[in-house]
Amino acid sequence: MLLIHRSPRAANAVRTVSPGGELFVAAVVICMILAAFGDAVDPAWIGEAGLEVALFDLGGEFSVLAMRHWHLLQLLLAGAALAAGITVLRIGSTVFYRALRPAPPGGVEKVPIKL
Amino acid sequence: MELEFFSAAFLSALFAIILIDLVLAGDNALIIGLVARNLPKNTQNKVIFWGTFGAIAIRAAMAILVVYILAVPGFMLGGGLALVWIARKLLTPEPDAAANHLAKAPAATFAGAVRTIVIADAVMGVDNVLAIGGAAHGSILLIVLGLAISVPIIVWGSQLVIKLVDRYPSVILLGGAVLAWTAYSMIVREPLLVAWFEAHPATKLVVAILIFSISLGPWYSERLAEHMKPLVVLLPALLVWMLAFEVAASVWKVQVDYLLAKDEGEYMLEGLRWLGWLPLAALFLWVREQLAARTRRAARS
Repeated sequence: MLLIHRSPRAANAVRTVSPGGELFVAAVVICMILAAFGDAVDPAWIGEAGLEVALFDLGGEFSVLAMRHWHLLQLLLAGAALAAGITVLRIGSTVFYRALRPAPPGGVEKVPIKL
Repeated sequence: MELEFFSAAFLSALFAIILIDLVLAGDNALIIGLVARNLPKNTQNKVIFWGTFGAIAIRAAMAILVVYILAVPGFMLGGGLALVWIARKLLTPEPDAAANHLAKAPAATFAGAVRTIVIADAVMGVDNVLAIGGAAHGSILLIVLGLAISVPIIVWGSQLVIKLVDRYPSVILLGGAVLAWTAYSMIVREPLLVAWFEAHPATKLVVAILIFSISLGPWYSERLAEHMKPLVVLLPALLVWMLAFEVAASVWKVQVDYLLAKDEGEYMLEGLRWLGWLPLAALFLWVREQLAARTRRAARS
């Protein structure tokens, strides 16, 4: 028996995991797949396709092709940064769209300004 | 391969070993407690000491042996495939996790108790040892360091591990992802396949996605609606189908690239590659639906 199964919450982790933790792992997995993509792509083919600017020069060390040399800790850091970025974007877009949402036409406070 | 001390690669491999050790740790404390519970008090302490010592020794020996075994051609591929299965098993929710089949009966003698503890640890630690052998990139120093850090935590700090995974259940998902990543790096490092992967670089990406989709499938399928669950089988199956054509092209020297196809047979083969999976997928969905209907009928009657 695995030690983690001694904890009911951990044994049932798929239902008890936090959305933030799951987003972080999903971001790490995306980084791992991107690193595998960088490993799979033949740089000569990228040059032939005219995409060298997008993949070589855009991010320098952070380009997909450079990710093939990244180690686990770098992938974890990149996953954390990606997850933080997605969270900030999600919060920002929620705030933005909430501000754009019109007040209900029949509402008492048509203009939501309180003096 | 010896990694430079305290380099990014070294620390990454050490982190992977510790994480794998924690999520795949067997419940040694429980086993020791179960085995020693009926022995006299003065023998219990000796059993705990020698049982723990034996468990650590057997685990270290197995881990070092695995490093040498993995250098034999073919074993890296086998180990990688085994790790995919281990990651899948780790992430599959277990309805009845309380049962432990390894140590049911308390031991009557000192030697019997120590033997049971060591055998139980060896059986529980096979997956663990294989995973850390793969993550260590052949470095004995890393294995020894990983074991020195994690074994005391597993044996004496089991409550700490339980608290950690209880507070952050995503550690288990992260452990599964790291296992899948280790499996991928083991498979692409397989000496028998290195040249083939160099000749077919795109297949590395297919293999990576295939490994992640098989390993993490049980976790994400729990979240999917019932009608979407076949995707967890269909996506890996489609990737295996595509990969099989690449392998067939190498083994039987057939042309599977339509840009290079010259005769009708090669065009037919290309058509089979891109469309041939559709009837199989439809057949799978039909069989699945029939089985589900039969189960529903059996449940009603």
